[in-house]
Amino acid sequence: MGEAEVLDTGAGADAPAPVNRMVVAVLSLVGLFVAFYLMAHSFGWTGPLVCGIGECETVQSSRWAKVGEVPVSAIGFAGYATLLGLSVAGLQPGRRSSRGLGLLLLAGSGAGVAFSAWLTYLEAAVIHAWCQWCVTSAILITLIFLAALPEARRIRGGGDAR
Amino acid sequence: MSSRGEQRRQARQKGSSELTKFYWILGAVAVVGVGVVGYSVGSDALSAAATEPIDLQGADDVSRLVQLAQGVKKGDPDAPITIVEFGDYQCPGCGAFALSVKPQVDLAYVQPGKANFVFYDLPLVSIHAHSFLAARAARCAGDQDRFWEYHDNLFRTQAAWSTKSDPTPDFLDYAGVVGLEPDAFETCLNSDRHAEVVTANMRLAEELGLSATPSIMVSRGQGMARRLNGFDFQTIKNTVDGMMEPPATPPGN
Repeated sequence: MGEAEVLDTGAGADAPAPVNRMVVAVLSLVGLFVAFYLMAHSFGWTGPLVCGIGECETVQSSRWAKVGEVPVSAIGFAGYATLLGLSVAGLQPGRRSSRGLGLLLLAGSGAGVAFSAWLTYLEAAVIHAWCQWCVTSAILITLIFLAALPEARRIRGGGDAR
Repeated sequence: MSSRGEQRRQARQKGSSELTKFYWILGAVAVVGVGVVGYSVGSDALSAAATEPIDLQGADDVSRLVQLAQGVKKGDPDAPITIVEFGDYQCPGCGAFALSVKPQVDLAYVQPGKANFVFYDLPLVSIHAHSFLAARAARCAGDQDRFWEYHDNLFRTQAAWSTKSDPTPDFLDYAGVVGLEPDAFETCLNSDRHAEVVTANMRLAEELGLSATPSIMVSRGQGMARRLNGFDFQTIKNTVDGMMEPPATPPGN
């Protein structure tokens, strides 16, 4: 029986707080604010976007800025909030070696990277305009995914990963 | 055993200390984020500048809509021919029309008193984020009798301001370029002044089935307006000249 499986039952209270989950939490919080800013714009709560680089309005007013009736930024907001919640939960004593949380963090951030890659492709090849906030979000989710990679070791039962 | 217990206690203390530090960092990020986003959203919310169409009371009634919609006229109001443009300040085609074709129209027809020219706003707000504000800006300039100067300047500078996230500073600068009283212009721009008439012009265009810009229509007197398929000078010239010719007299009369 692997160590992680034992720790899943709560015996991991003494395991050190995984640094990678702290990194995921901090980056997710930054992403949450970026997504909120874009979401506030798409819901009309704010005026034109501050956009020193690129053409944010072109991207945000394109038909790709929504999935059905849901703004992409709202999906991003929900995603970052979920990753933040999972990572903070995974730092609590008793859950620090949780393989379930590790799996959710890895899968969630991986899905985020895939979604973000598709959006970046649309900016480059279809819309032909860049939005600095979208690029920032793409970088953040990539960093979150990289920070979540040690979870793979935890999932395989290879012990604590920092 | 006691040594292992001591190690566990130390590890627990260390973990708790790390978590405390982490919460401090997370809190600092949260404070900075709330400050930056809150300031950005709040300052924009405080600005009263109307940048989008507004709800029009009674716009379903076409006669009321015709009353609300107002073009800006140029030339002799008694001229026999009227040339109407529905335009968008962020549309490159409208820029080409304003800078290349309209001067020829002015020279050939408007200045000699053969035709008058009327500009109606048709900001395509779904693809041009600043076009509504630009339309209002031109009308704010019109309050100081500089509509056409500002209109032309907006098209000349279109490439510069249309890609900005917030063109308001550019619009304020242009007020100085065309000799407007800056405070009055800024007060007008940062309000909802002219939002109703610009919205009404948009609704009128919808009623007329116009969805592209520039849309040019030509009419003679109170006669039916003819919508042109192009906006080049030759197309306009052919239409206007054709309308100005006296109707052919039937043989035998």
